[in-house]
Amino acid sequence: MSKYKDLYGHVYDMIYRSTTSISPDVEDLMNKALDQESNPTAKSMMKAMLDDAKMAGEKVKPVCQSPGFPTVYVSFGDNSVPGEDLKQIWAEALIEGTKNSLLRPSMVHTLTRKNPGDNSGIGVPNFEFDYVPGQEYLEMLLSFKGCGAELANAMKIFTVAQLEKGNDFSGLKRWVLDTVIKGGGKPCPPGGIGIGLGGQMDVACKLARKAISTRRWDDVNPDPMYADLEKELLENINSLGIGAAGTGGDTTLLAVKINAVSTHTAIAPAAISFHCWAARRTGVRLYPDGKKEIIL
Amino acid sequence: MAEKLLSIPLKEEEIRDLHVGDVVYLKGPIFTSRDMGHFTIKQNLEEGKELPVNFEGSAVFHAGPVVKKKDDGTYDLVVIGPTTSIRMEPYYKMMADLGVRAIIGKGGLAEGSLKQFKETGQVYLQAAPGCAVVLADGIADIENVFWLDLGVPEALWVLNATKFGPLVVGMDSHGLSVYQELKEKAEKRNKELYG
Repeated sequence: MSKYKDLYGHVYDMIYRSTTSISPDVEDLMNKALDQESNPTAKSMMKAMLDDAKMAGEKVKPVCQSPGFPTVYVSFGDNSVPGEDLKQIWAEALIEGTKNSLLRPSMVHTLTRKNPGDNSGIGVPNFEFDYVPGQEYLEMLLSFKGCGAELANAMKIFTVAQLEKGNDFSGLKRWVLDTVIKGGGKPCPPGGIGIGLGGQMDVACKLARKAISTRRWDDVNPDPMYADLEKELLENINSLGIGAAGTGGDTTLLAVKINAVSTHTAIAPAAISFHCWAARRTGVRLYPDGKKEIIL
Repeated sequence: MAEKLLSIPLKEEEIRDLHVGDVVYLKGPIFTSRDMGHFTIKQNLEEGKELPVNFEGSAVFHAGPVVKKKDDGTYDLVVIGPTTSIRMEPYYKMMADLGVRAIIGKGGLAEGSLKQFKETGQVYLQAAPGCAVVLADGIADIENVFWLDLGVPEALWVLNATKFGPLVVGMDSHGLSVYQELKEKAEKRNKELYG
């Protein structure tokens, strides 16, 4: 048993809030983008998106028909270990959310495509655990990430020559823009991209998903080099003209987030994880004394 | 740029009249179909089986709804929005042969579809992505469902649309695709920026 009282209740509340609303930081960015938009079709698309998120909250309906795929980012310290029933609690809460029509039954067997009808399945939800020595609270961040966005993702093991280091990393930047262009309207723009750099293939991919799923879209990267790169990429991507829904406009992305670690001297792995505009995510911190803090 | 309310079944002349950028609303029965739905249509045709609906003049919506089962066994629509259409590109010829006039989805289809649309008189309509609550407002109820064994998202749902939209013509029957046009411009811009 978990030492956290009513952990199931906290988890179910996260699913409820995630499916029926979008992250407030993303909503603010979308409102700003709508104010600045010059393309009438893009304006009407973004207006529909903001109306949709508002109506979902009022009518207690899912913002989008597709819940995407759920990942739960869990971090804990020695005194805030979640307990052995955490995975089971999440799996059961997803099934209850499905019964209550907050989630469409979308999880299937990868090869046979058999759908159990309740969003149960091996590896559902996916968990990413992080042990943080000294952390007094248990942090859980739930991210439902849409899968049209997944169709636009890309991964590449660059060499130093391909990065075009001597030319201000133009090789990397061109590839990022090219990936956004190929994605077009598929990932439900205007959303965000996470860029994972370093490690090996697995590391870069996880960093990319985590960057766009867990960081606030209006934050600034604490590393000035990456902050500049995020800013440059965002501005240049938005000069491509793909726009909301991919039918033309001034805002193709609301955020570019880079997460980077070191790598081997022979390689420079890079991964891009797309996120749709419907940023359905919630986060809480639970303290052993029963205190709860909502972080998203 | 025109704004029109079209009734299903759709006629070829009505579709030929549409151009990229026009705004359309639909009225009448709309069929949903996505990956496994298209695959099942193909299998049935190959095996010479009859399909549960008549696709002549139809509008096919790349989508899978959220539904609620009622006590009498029928379904209430909760919400519905478009899925990414490119996955259904391999089936453009089959859908044209069945008489489908309008394909609704998001992100557009590719060159094969565009050529086919010109030949047969079909159109691709872009729905507002992720706007499942707004879009469900234009549908009165669910008329029928087939192939539920494929799962809720992949089943063939017949939606009774009153004023479904707004939908923007993304690809027309005159060889124009807004997606293709934007892609070419964006590629040029990337070359200017990073060589």
